[in-house]
Amino acid sequence: MIFADQVLFRGSVYSGVEDDLKSLFNVAVSRGYRVIGPKLVNSVIRLEQLNDFNEIPYGYGDKQAPGYYRVVNNGGRFRHGPDSPKRFLYPPELLLFIIRPDLSVEYPRFEFYKTAFFGIKPCDLAAINVMDGVQGELGDEYYRKVRENLLLIVENCVEPGDTCFCATMGTGPFAFKGFDVAYTRVGSGVVIFQPGSDLGVDILSELSLRPAEDEQVDFLRNLMLDASKKARAEFTLENLPETLEMGLDSEVYRKIAERCFGCANCNMVCPTCFCFDVIDEPELDGSAKRIRIWDGCHSYSYAQVAGGHFRKSLYARYRHWVLHKFVYWIRQFGTFGCVGCGRCITWCPAGIDLRQVVRDVVKEVETRCRR
Amino acid sequence: MQEVVRTPMVPVRAEIVKIVPETPDTKTFYFRVQGGLVEAPKPGQFTEVYVPGVGEAPVSICGLEDGILVQTVRSVGALTDYLFKMREGDLVGIRGPYGKGWPIEKLAGKDVLIVAGGIGLAPLRGVILEVERNRGKYGKLTILYGARTPSLLLYRYEFDRYREIPNTEFLLTVDHPDETWRYHVGVVTELIPMARIDVERTIALVCGPEIMMRFTVKALEQIGFKENQIYFSLERRMKCGIGLCGHCQVGPYFVCRHGPVFPYWLIKKYFWVDEI
Ligand SMILES: Cc1cc2nc3c(=O)[nH]c(=O)nc-3n(C[C@H](O)[C@H](O)[C@H](O)COP(=O)(O)OP(=O)(O)OC[C@H]3O[C@@H](n4cnc5c(N)ncnc54)[C@H](O)[C@@H]3O)c2cc1C
Ligand code: SF4
Ligand code: SF4
Ligand code: FES
Repeated sequence: MIFADQVLFRGSVYSGVEDDLKSLFNVAVSRGYRVIGPKLVNSVIRLEQLNDFNEIPYGYGDKQAPGYYRVVNNGGRFRHGPDSPKRFLYPPELLLFIIRPDLSVEYPRFEFYKTAFFGIKPCDLAAINVMDGVQGELGDEYYRKVRENLLLIVENCVEPGDTCFCATMGTGPFAFKGFDVAYTRVGSGVVIFQPGSDLGVDILSELSLRPAEDEQVDFLRNLMLDASKKARAEFTLENLPETLEMGLDSEVYRKIAERCFGCANCNMVCPTCFCFDVIDEPELDGSAKRIRIWDGCHSYSYAQVAGGHFRKSLYARYRHWVLHKFVYWIRQFGTFGCVGCGRCITWCPAGIDLRQVVRDVVKEVETRCRR
Repeated sequence: MQEVVRTPMVPVRAEIVKIVPETPDTKTFYFRVQGGLVEAPKPGQFTEVYVPGVGEAPVSICGLEDGILVQTVRSVGALTDYLFKMREGDLVGIRGPYGKGWPIEKLAGKDVLIVAGGIGLAPLRGVILEVERNRGKYGKLTILYGARTPSLLLYRYEFDRYREIPNTEFLLTVDHPDETWRYHVGVVTELIPMARIDVERTIALVCGPEIMMRFTVKALEQIGFKENQIYFSLERRMKCGIGLCGHCQVGPYFVCRHGPVFPYWLIKKYFWVDEI
């Protein structure tokens, strides 16, 4: 749980207007950042490189529900679409090396840019922290090189979407740590800015803002409280890993498997899923490209071996996903693997709601324990 | 400016210097790894073997002879089939050794019980050779080995050598015997009550198909083995071998990094859950 008072240090809350967002964008550009932010592409809000502040589709809203996504031009607020920063830090396809028939190896070269994420949401900020934990000391070199030069400008969520549960996961709807600049569009053209790092202070000081009035801070606090109430699931983190582990044999997973297609959409949109496969792409001269591609634990072949299969049943693959996110991840990397962004719910073609699955397993275990 | 990006998943050139046929679908390969392995392999560890243009597969290390890496491979799929067609002098890639091997240090002064099924003897061969090499360090060696048919037994040309290791009991079994078969017929767990095992002073090392390992653990527990006296080597799909790709998870553990050899007590909770 993030408390409003942890986020609002009165002394460092500043007030501006929507034009100041544009200035912030331009400061990032003038400092040589490649800016990546929300953009409307084929009726979906994607994360793309932006050349101009006006490409950000402010004024568009979206409707998200289990298995449902629509962008609407209604003057509302949009949330995160299917892309997350993972796409840029840990690309879906990455050439690892080229290997020749004599087994000599050529490593690839990549252009690395200073990258600013503009207007990503607190859950995606948290997802970067989670990925940092996964990459750890063994860290992927590509990831590290992008990560080293990030500017993180986060848009706090005043109106979380219907599939969001960041408040339950303790990752939002307001940025709490690990960002450079956070801003909140509080309405009537007013934007509240907060620096979150030395870089953030440096960048913000190029703008021309005012200290927020006490009433503004109180107003913001109320917005936060309201938003936090919305972005909830019907379970809490208290004893969650222990409880889920007591429900390894839960019927809930088998029920879900009747609906799940095993398409791994959920894995692909998840901002923290890191599993990969490595494939060979043979070239005409006899050399081969070794390419890392995203893989997902829901796909049939994920745990398949020659002459056998360790998770042939869908229920087992779905269960592994839940247990990895909410149980194993903590032991492996010290955080939950889920930041509550709800993408896996929105983009599931079967409309399976992870929040309900976890809730139902917890309920089943609790009922069993009471008996 | 462009920057070079390196990965730890890069194979080292290795030459096939010898191939020994084992069974109709299994061969032992001797690889000379250019520049040698980064560290001396321990029995039970594995490498990733790369076949150019085809892919990579995790393969156990069965021995190191004069710096030559010995690995036994069964042909079961795309990559292993391809490897089967390769000849002496051909090149493959090798990276490793990876994972935790058998607890050799813990075996000192103990009786060693090896229970292996089929190709499961491959990762255990190194333990047998270690006991032979440093015979005084270990107590009685018991090898219980089973396969479906006599022709599927690995290392038959070495069996006499195993039998000659002092204070060693070596029992064999097959499911389907042929006319010449002189030993037991039945599953490998049936050998457990036939062997002379001083449970108190024994550590059991088990490797074979998962179902065989489950029955073996049950049988060992029945005669009094405790969770901390049993070790086994798990198999899972693997892509990276170093804890990055996620594929090999069993509960919170990455088989490639935390295993493949696990003490039973460490993963008991997950071992019995189907498809965990
Ligand atoms: C720790 C460990 C040690 C092993 N030791 C040996 C050994 O000594 N001798 C031996 O013959 N086999 C061993 N295996 C099994 C061997 O890795 C597979 O038989 C091999 O990967 C099959 O590859 P393929 O491309 O021929 O089959 P395909 O079915 O075409 O497999 C495609 C890919 O899936 C993965 N895969 C498939 N089966 C397995 C599997 N069983 N385990 C892990 N990944 C798999 C591999 O990445 C493989 O390249 C071991 C497996 C593990 C995990
Ligand atoms: S599991 Fe679902 S809700 Fe959680 S971080 Fe991944 S996509 Fe978002
Ligand atoms: S839960 Fe939904 S998105 Fe995930 S594999 Fe099943 S059907 Fe696909
Ligand atoms: S094989 Fe990749 S994590 Fe274990």
